[in-house]
Amino acid sequence: MELVAPIAVDAMGGDFAPGEIVAGARKAFEDGIPVMLVGRPEELGDVGDIPVLAASEVIAMDAEPGSSVRKLQDSSLVVAARAVKDGRASAMVSAGNTGAAMASALLKMGRLRGVGRPAIATPIPRVGMQPTILLDAGANADCRPEWVVQFGQMGAVYARYRFGVANPRVALLSIGEEAGKGNEFVKEVFELMKAVDWAGTCGSTFMGNAEGRDIMVDVADVVVTDGFTGNIVLKTLEGGVKAIINALLAAFDTDDVSRAAANDLMPALLPLYETFSPDTYGGAMLLGVNGVCVISHGSTRATAMRNAIGVAAEMVQADVVGHLGAAVAPAG
Amino acid sequence: MPAETHVGQGPLDRAAILDLVRDRLADILEIEPGAINEGDSFRDDLQADSLALIELVEAIEEELSERTVGFRIDDEDLEDLKTVRDAVDYVVNRLG
Repeated sequence: MELVAPIAVDAMGGDFAPGEIVAGARKAFEDGIPVMLVGRPEELGDVGDIPVLAASEVIAMDAEPGSSVRKLQDSSLVVAARAVKDGRASAMVSAGNTGAAMASALLKMGRLRGVGRPAIATPIPRVGMQPTILLDAGANADCRPEWVVQFGQMGAVYARYRFGVANPRVALLSIGEEAGKGNEFVKEVFELMKAVDWAGTCGSTFMGNAEGRDIMVDVADVVVTDGFTGNIVLKTLEGGVKAIINALLAAFDTDDVSRAAANDLMPALLPLYETFSPDTYGGAMLLGVNGVCVISHGSTRATAMRNAIGVAAEMVQADVVGHLGAAVAPAG
Repeated sequence: MPAETHVGQGPLDRAAILDLVRDRLADILEIEPGAINEGDSFRDDLQADSLALIELVEAIEEELSERTVGFRIDDEDLEDLKTVRDAVDYVVNRLG
């Protein structure tokens, strides 16, 4: 599937917007990806030859999502989402307010038929293999059991088209591997997941429960949970990895012997750093809306934005939205 | 304040507005329109959360803006809409 329209980039969203966002968009544009910046033209600086879609308002990072999207109809997020709906853009990318990005995409693009709620699918890095897809990573703090089942189906489709996993293994996050483990909600989800034809609906396999320690190792390719738990997992992993990296860097700098050893190790360690850096993956995709929406970390800088735009383009070309729709389409 | 000008099509009566609300809500909640009763509470009976209600409001606005210029449901009024009947009455009054 070709890109018939550019990727709409929310130039005003993110802690380092618009400077780093524009820089990332320029990198993508130089790499041949059609891009369109959305925001206040007078604040964007030198955008090169990238077209700009004017939007006069900005949704703040801490704004309440639903009411902001309703009130700020000329905000960069809403204008970007509307551009996708109208066909002026192929996809949208934002490093802005996550809840507002989701609400914009949901309200302007609409949901795929059969989808209870969209979910944020975040790649969790693993060493030596493709990442685990964790979802929901924060779109829905409260979930219905059937939504979580769909998260699994959508996550499987995403794992296949984003990371080339032929038969994704789907697992439900719980506090034990055995079927009876978990709270009442998880047990209800488990029973529903057990009844799904995973191979038939999305070419995948349901593995049963997985524990938190399984997310970063070779146990499952997709791990599903509610958005409240998923966001806590995500932030815990981010904080844990960052703490370990900082501790290692401090240990390497203890004395001359350690510094010399660290220099020797650096060629082996740098690829690992790249594996664990959120910049590598660019962003998480909102699965279940009727268009491609990639949500990047608030602290996104140019490289991460370039990669997020690349992901959006790849997902359009792979027609991942069409495949998601087929996986969750209601019977009949 | 009532919305401004009716355009193109004739005014909707209360039954048509109820059908509209029911159809849009059914789409959003992925249930049959017939399963939605006028007296149902959005939250308690239909398990519609705040985002679902915003989806409903946007859908109604989109539909009615094709008929009535400037039709909009004020955000401040949203918390007063507890039941399907509340929403229908609100729309009827705004169009009146």
